[in-house]
Amino acid sequence: MDLHDLTAAYALDALDADETEAYERHLGQCEECREQLAELNDTAASLAFGAVAPAPPPRLRAAILEQAGAERSNVVPLHRRRWVVRGLALGAAAAACVVVGLAVALSRSNHEQFVSVGLTRGANGNATLTVTGLDAAPQGKTYEAWVIPKGQAPRPAGLFPGGRTATVHLHGVPQKGAVIAVTVERAGGAPAPTSTPLVTTQT
Amino acid sequence: MARQLAHLSDEALVLLAARSEESALAELYDRYGRTAYGLALRVVRDPGLAEDAVQEAFLAVWRNAARFVPEQGRASAWILTLVHRRAVDAVRREQRRRADSLERAPEPSVEGVEEDAWLRFQRERVQAALRHLPDAQREALELAYYGGFSQSELAERLGQPLGTIKSRMFGGLSRLRELLGEPGTEVTWTSTT
Repeated sequence: MDLHDLTAAYALDALDADETEAYERHLGQCEECREQLAELNDTAASLAFGAVAPAPPPRLRAAILEQAGAERSNVVPLHRRRWVVRGLALGAAAAACVVVGLAVALSRSNHEQFVSVGLTRGANGNATLTVTGLDAAPQGKTYEAWVIPKGQAPRPAGLFPGGRTATVHLHGVPQKGAVIAVTVERAGGAPAPTSTPLVTTQT
Repeated sequence: MARQLAHLSDEALVLLAARSEESALAELYDRYGRTAYGLALRVVRDPGLAEDAVQEAFLAVWRNAARFVPEQGRASAWILTLVHRRAVDAVRREQRRRADSLERAPEPSVEGVEEDAWLRFQRERVQAALRHLPDAQREALELAYYGGFSQSELAERLGQPLGTIKSRMFGGLSRLRELLGEPGTEVTWTSTT
């Protein structure tokens, strides 16, 4: 696969998940592709204006603003976020591993990085976890989301590769008071968290 | 409420949103929410799923505003890219769509849609540019962008080698860029390494 050839398809969101991951890794090393992508992205986005645009229902605006207001407190600067969630046993080795990943992530950017996590309740009663600000998981690793009901053990809630914005569709809707956490795990996921959560949020 | 931030650029609004200024997010929605919804609806063909995609995308704008880098492109392109990605994710999750052939459902009709003059102008401009593309390039762009098909799906369904699909998409986007007459030589990606 010649990754240079994938810029247009990437700009059009026409790559599958594996190709996207490979291309994003390549982007970090290829200035030519970054420049080309910046151009093609703007052009691809202008296609959005070619669609017939009926007015969205007014409730959509209200729902977005309400959710945004509720989430303000969940946005935590990466270098200041808390590492420990009460109730999770942590392995020291695993924690050290995560700290290394964090340092790498920070050194890649001059900008303050934010990791945030939001829970959206969809129209049909399902729940979606959106995690933004995490770099793609390292080779052989995956991010795993957990729902931790009050006073109970963490339950696996889905795997995702990270990168840009990750969306995880949870099974069922977490009860009020549950904590949602994200950890790095070996590819394929783990039945229980083995590393310190990168980010947590209370529902 | 009056649109008190209407004088600000999109990029300035994103900066304000990064500082948790909700009125900035509201203004961005008022500027691009309708285009976003039209795009999502075109891709997912379902009003409920389109609403979900737009909501997720604008919340991503809110959560990620601090990471927006103006040198990487316009704020509007960034927002609409977030919307498009979520719409494509949704349509790919919908397994039933896999059974569809390339025969596309009819495009939403403009009949009965009250458009403001600016949106109509934009739409006609993009559609006119698309009409100027060679048929094969236009088909590849439309099926990928509006249809949510991946390059591999397109290769299979159109019975063409993957390389042909790639060059149609690249050629089509490059030509479209010229046709839309976008300045952009000064737009470069800021290296963050």
